[in-house]
Amino acid sequence: MKTVILGFDSFDPAIFESMAEKNLLPNLQKMADAGGYSRLEVCSPPQTEVSWTCIATGADPGSHGIFDFVLREPNSYMPYVSILPTKKSAVGETFIPPYTTKTFFEEAADMGYPATALWWPAMFPARPELPVNTLPGLGTPDIRGQLGVGTLLTTEDETKKKTAVAALIPAGNNRFTSTLSGPAVAGKSGPQTLTLPVALDVINAQSARLQVGEVQLDLKLGQWSDIFEIKFKAGFLANVHAITRVLLTDLGAAKRVYFLPLQIHPLHSAFHYASSPGFAKSLWSKVGSYLTLGWPQDTTGLEDGCINDDQFITLCDLIFERRKQIFHHLLAGFKEGVLASIFDDLDRIQHMFHHNRREVAEAWYKKLDQFVGEVAARLGAKTRFIVMSDHGFSTFQFKVHLNRWLAEQGWLALKDGKTEGDLSHVDWSQTKAYALGLNSLYLNVAGREGQGMVNASELESLLGEVQKRLLEWKGPDGRNVVSAARLKHEVYNGPYARLGPDLVVGYAAGYRASAETGLGKIPAAAIEENHDHWGADHCVDKDLVPGVLFANRDLRDFGGISFRDIPFLAIGKHLDQSHIKPPSQVGPQGQKDLEERLKGLGYL
Amino acid sequence: MLNLFSKKTSAPKQPIVIVSGLPRSGTSMMMKMLAEGGLQILTDAIRSADDDNPNGYFEFERVKQMTSGDRDWLDEAGGKVVKVISALLEHLPSDRSYKVIFMEREIQEVLASQKKMLDHRGEQNKVKDEEIAAQYRAHLAAVKPWLARQAHMEVLYVDYNKMMAEPGPLCRRLIEFLDRPLNEEKMLAVPNARLYRNRA
Repeated sequence: MKTVILGFDSFDPAIFESMAEKNLLPNLQKMADAGGYSRLEVCSPPQTEVSWTCIATGADPGSHGIFDFVLREPNSYMPYVSILPTKKSAVGETFIPPYTTKTFFEEAADMGYPATALWWPAMFPARPELPVNTLPGLGTPDIRGQLGVGTLLTTEDETKKKTAVAALIPAGNNRFTSTLSGPAVAGKSGPQTLTLPVALDVINAQSARLQVGEVQLDLKLGQWSDIFEIKFKAGFLANVHAITRVLLTDLGAAKRVYFLPLQIHPLHSAFHYASSPGFAKSLWSKVGSYLTLGWPQDTTGLEDGCINDDQFITLCDLIFERRKQIFHHLLAGFKEGVLASIFDDLDRIQHMFHHNRREVAEAWYKKLDQFVGEVAARLGAKTRFIVMSDHGFSTFQFKVHLNRWLAEQGWLALKDGKTEGDLSHVDWSQTKAYALGLNSLYLNVAGREGQGMVNASELESLLGEVQKRLLEWKGPDGRNVVSAARLKHEVYNGPYARLGPDLVVGYAAGYRASAETGLGKIPAAAIEENHDHWGADHCVDKDLVPGVLFANRDLRDFGGISFRDIPFLAIGKHLDQSHIKPPSQVGPQGQKDLEERLKGLGYL
Repeated sequence: MLNLFSKKTSAPKQPIVIVSGLPRSGTSMMMKMLAEGGLQILTDAIRSADDDNPNGYFEFERVKQMTSGDRDWLDEAGGKVVKVISALLEHLPSDRSYKVIFMEREIQEVLASQKKMLDHRGEQNKVKDEEIAAQYRAHLAAVKPWLARQAHMEVLYVDYNKMMAEPGPLCRRLIEFLDRPLNEEKMLAVPNARLYRNRA
């Protein structure tokens, strides 16, 4: 077995089909012309971390437990990030694997083959006990143990929505000084944030010299630095290592320097970053340094105005180029097994430009097509080659504050006279339903939720009523807000299904849950126009955003192909066979007539 | 389930060659071609040649008994060819590997041929042609996706009508699929326009 997989996060079938018609994507079109193209049915909800996990396991979230980006602890209603769970132990709080369901990578290893998964979501922390080489993708934290925001050093008195801001203080002779905050460590009087001194020496209007701790960098205005390493001293002989890039964004009257989130150094990580550590080290030394954050394309920096469109696109390019180099390096030594790699820059590009600069997104489709051509040219005839995406993309004109809508329907109440707030302000004794996560709606079930008040006898009718009203809900443009509201038992199977949301909300085109809904907040209005840079998304009804599947084999006999088929296509084995029914069970209504006919002919 | 890709399987057994499809879709012709090519046919000759199949049926009666659990005969079938109509494919056990040659033919031709055969057998044609045609189409629409997902089955679809019109390329594709040294010349002599009587 020899299988190469390229995963293109958010590669949209409608855009592919439209561009292919104009012959703009010749390499993928070649695969399609040979019968090796299909739209891919994706899981519900079509969120990145959920979808790639469904693909890796060939099973729906009921089998692996990742239902949404944000989940809740039912007793306390406390939200947590599904792909970065932690556990308290004798040595403190540690990260634990988001799921342990068997993937096709593990299955390939069990079959005796080497398996490698690059930048696959929800694979942090690495599981050293598994014989699979990994560099983790989405869900890998920064050195603070969070999903990561950058730091802006500025001479101006300014604040940003999410980005950390620190003052650049004039120190004379064109020198400005500041402090870069790093991770927090346990101190005598509680957690203590480690810092490094920063000095910026302005050389001229186009360049400056930056000193960060012991590191000195010569920077040019508007150009990303190389990846560099810094060390925070955490005690005697104890250092916390980090990597980052920095960008000099302003050398006019105002001076601004922007740091990407401080990221895990793969060679000096306190966490199980990769599997094996030797694998990560080998790539670092043989190919070069690479960013490690799960979301290294800094959309937050762009949304907060710390970097501009071109600087963001350049960053995506740098990430893509280095990842391609790593992939090609591994491909050169690839003899057998599975080599899979996810490239997620297109997803970030589309979030930012799908709606307003389509040419930027389309340029990325061409870039990926060219990459497919490069890889295909290096593969032998007997190598299975699969290119796929986890979902497509859609517009996002309206933000939906689902908890406000639930309040308007009389199913959610706030306490203490509050009119806005979050789940901590909810009067649970008067609340029957609440939303948390980007597609999840829960009933406040007695005996399950900490202060549940919906009894078993009421569950079914309430679910039916919520479902009905969701599907009737019209937005300000007169169109439906929700195009599908799926009941848990309709979409999920497996040991974790009971932990999933009671309703999976599939937003209609143009609508998506607000970030506030994701965190369980209850703002003033139920629907708000979206004017953010983040103007397109995929966390909608799964049927609106199918993925793509290309293969160097004929896919036409499969009928509809779903995420459940990927393990079979990758390693020749199904991990979950629940979707495969014998023909006699799905065949024609007149099966009896057929049997009689075959008996009459003497064949049965 | 036997997995064709696993390194951990013991010495590989020869796959069983299955000729399949709807009844009267050219399965007997394909059996004859493979026999002429040099493959060993698993047949009991219980059903002998007649007007409907002048070259014989090449059937093995115990295939029909798979539905009631008789599968021991498969132990001796490695490397041999056996005819299994499409409706019985799902009863082939998954602990063996198969190369399936699936015959496809215009449904109207299949029905015309079946009608004659029913007449010869004195059976009544109880269901209207258009109804049974729709059922056959639905049956094939269920069989193909199922076949595509079987790890222990490799499938080659052979168009009967094309085979009758221009057998050369399909015959070479067939030999390539079976990966066995077969007598192409003798195989090519089998598709016989004289026996292609039920045209749509």
